[in-house]
Amino acid sequence: MIRLLAGRLLQAAVASFGVLTIVFFVMRLSGDPTLLLVPEGASAEQVAQLRAALGFDRPLVVQYAAYLGDLLRLDLGESLVQRAPVAGIVGERIPYTLALAGGALLVALGIGIPAGILMAVHRGGLLERALAALVLAGQSLPTFWSGILLILFFGVYLGWLPTSGADSPASLIMPAIALGALTMSTFARMARISVLDELSRDYVTAARARGLSVWAAVSRHVLRNAAIPVVTIAALEIGNLLAGAVIVETVFAWPGIGQLAIQSIQARDFLVVQTVVLFVSSVYIAMNLLADLAYAAIDPRIRGRS
Amino acid sequence: MLRSWTIGLLTACALAGPALAQATKDTLIVDLPGDVATMDPHVQWDTESYSVYRNIFDNLVTRDTAGKIVPQVATAWRYTDPTTIVFDLRTDITFSDGSKLTPADVVFSIKRITNPAFRSPQLSQFDQIIAADVTGPAQVTLRTKSPYPVLLAQLVKLSIVPQAVVEKLGDQAFNQQVLGSGPYVLKSWQRGVASTLEANPGYWRGATPFKTVTFRAVPDIATRIADVRTGRADITRGLSPDDTAPLKNERNLQVLSVATERVTHLFLNPAIGPTRDKRVRQAIAHAIDRDAIIAALMLGFPKRADVMLTEAAFGWVGDVPFWPYDPARAKALVKEAGAEGAEIPFLTSPAYDRRVNEAVQQMLGEVGLKVSFVMVDQPTFLRRRQGTPEEALNMAQGRWSCACQDADGVIFPLFRTGSQWAKFSNAEFDTAVDAARVTLDEKERLTHYRRAFTILRDEVAAVPLFQDAAIYLARRELKWTPTPNEAFFVFDMKWVP
Repeated sequence: MIRLLAGRLLQAAVASFGVLTIVFFVMRLSGDPTLLLVPEGASAEQVAQLRAALGFDRPLVVQYAAYLGDLLRLDLGESLVQRAPVAGIVGERIPYTLALAGGALLVALGIGIPAGILMAVHRGGLLERALAALVLAGQSLPTFWSGILLILFFGVYLGWLPTSGADSPASLIMPAIALGALTMSTFARMARISVLDELSRDYVTAARARGLSVWAAVSRHVLRNAAIPVVTIAALEIGNLLAGAVIVETVFAWPGIGQLAIQSIQARDFLVVQTVVLFVSSVYIAMNLLADLAYAAIDPRIRGRS
Repeated sequence: MLRSWTIGLLTACALAGPALAQATKDTLIVDLPGDVATMDPHVQWDTESYSVYRNIFDNLVTRDTAGKIVPQVATAWRYTDPTTIVFDLRTDITFSDGSKLTPADVVFSIKRITNPAFRSPQLSQFDQIIAADVTGPAQVTLRTKSPYPVLLAQLVKLSIVPQAVVEKLGDQAFNQQVLGSGPYVLKSWQRGVASTLEANPGYWRGATPFKTVTFRAVPDIATRIADVRTGRADITRGLSPDDTAPLKNERNLQVLSVATERVTHLFLNPAIGPTRDKRVRQAIAHAIDRDAIIAALMLGFPKRADVMLTEAAFGWVGDVPFWPYDPARAKALVKEAGAEGAEIPFLTSPAYDRRVNEAVQQMLGEVGLKVSFVMVDQPTFLRRRQGTPEEALNMAQGRWSCACQDADGVIFPLFRTGSQWAKFSNAEFDTAVDAARVTLDEKERLTHYRRAFTILRDEVAAVPLFQDAAIYLARRELKWTPTPNEAFFVFDMKWVP
């Protein structure tokens, strides 16, 4: 188990380094931010002067080496647009994104898993069709549109929920639903398939033959076995939630790292973008690692193999 | 669990309602499309940062609502020779920490923003100033490299910061906790979320209209509109004409708009390809129905521009009409130039209105020219547009503002031979704009600019389309007149229930 963990951690470090390097060079391929910062009428000399002052006149490799050197000293640098430490700028946003991803995961798990199980158990019935419609809606409505619909209906028309921002617990409800909808659908479909698959197995038939009700069989035997693929998907979906947060945070003015990423990419604020990507990729990698470990914990066969 | 969650949510909703209703009494809530980049007025000057920090600081001079340059910290000014200007200053201004605003603070502010080591992106607006000195108990004297008629227009943007506080805190800490002598004081700044300003009780120009002003960062326009509709915000900016159509019947709201100093235009490259032929450029000018674009795509909000400048700027001339819409003449010119079916590559980025580009494409198609778009991201657009004539392609849309309201800041960088934007080169034009740049005589400058605009029109160096409109949505009770320079002074607003 320790060898497995050490191996995965090494892989994670290599993956993070790869992501960092790619982002560093891709961001710089289309030029530096100097032209976005200066007034339109600035002369070529004035632009060159600011470019040199910001250090963008140095060869890319030199800039890259300097960046890695700072990173090794755990110095994430200073935002060249905001003139403040990047660690602080990104750090302030992380709790918001975690809250949003947590809320979305709650929506996804809280609705998706029960819906999936109900769809499996009531296969072919009216309830399955109704839930299938919900799942289809969650899967097919783009968040930038469903977000606006939610705002118009619950915020403007009914006046129940705040239309934007993050200043009260109620502010989290709509963004969490908008962000969680797609993941909810994925969970529902996965849970349905897994439960259906398990329900057709001999041990369930045997349990039913012993007089166990469908629900007793599901809760006592099926769920544990059906959980394995769902856990794997859940870990990957957390990464997708962070990616999806970019749109939802913009629509709902939720001040998380997704919104920060967009602003920083537009302003070519390199160090902020790199730090955001470093954070998101670390979470993604960590979640994959956790999924592997959880997998092993749930299924003794995998534990034995590792 | 479910029950307590539901109760929690309902309570939160119930609490949010009355809090909002009360907030609008003393508090003005402004939804901006983005976050403040820096509170330090000597660093960034994007519209968001500008909208917030200009309420915290006073400037040496400012513009009144009619756009005229008027005193603020300076009471009067006079040139002692063409490169030396003396400012008399007010003596009754204090910063919000109670310390006096002195001539030393003014000199410090000028030296700070013009110090290359400070790396201010605004440096190019002030680098004509070569000396700033305290020359009396309430007087400062500035010297410029050469006679510089745009100096006052540039100084409108120079905020006065307290030397003692900046030196004590250092630049980075000052950016976090700025302090000025303006009508409002920074109370809190939560990056990416909101900045809250409180009234400066001892402000020298009198009482402020709101005790508190909160600027929130709300990137999505549909969300900002929803915020104003529900009273969650009192005013927002950045609406497109299309956004205003569904708001016409909302009794609690008002759409405010102003023609800004920004001119949307089509750049024509006379250095390469088919647009090298003046007849093709003339044909393009005749082929574009600017009034139709304004009426159909912009719903009448912008104002048609005949020259590459607006009435809000010095140097504007109203007697140089542009080529009229005449597609038959355009077709004839294209034929005469042998350019039928010629390909016109058009450089653009997502920052420019796609619909205007497509309308132009269609209109030019109708007279026999084939426009093809090359879409790049904005930094690449800027790099290519300022690059070689080949990189800049034959056509591009532009939306130019020098934020100085002077012809020198517009047509000099865009068309003067040698400027990185200019692909046009005309010796007579160069002489006119050079002469207008080094004289302080306004009449003489205007004569030079009339000549310069006539040459630009005759040579069809660009097609001015319209003066951009800045569109705001506000609650009906807010009384405010937006200005062409898009300044956002809360001090000039009023709440009338």
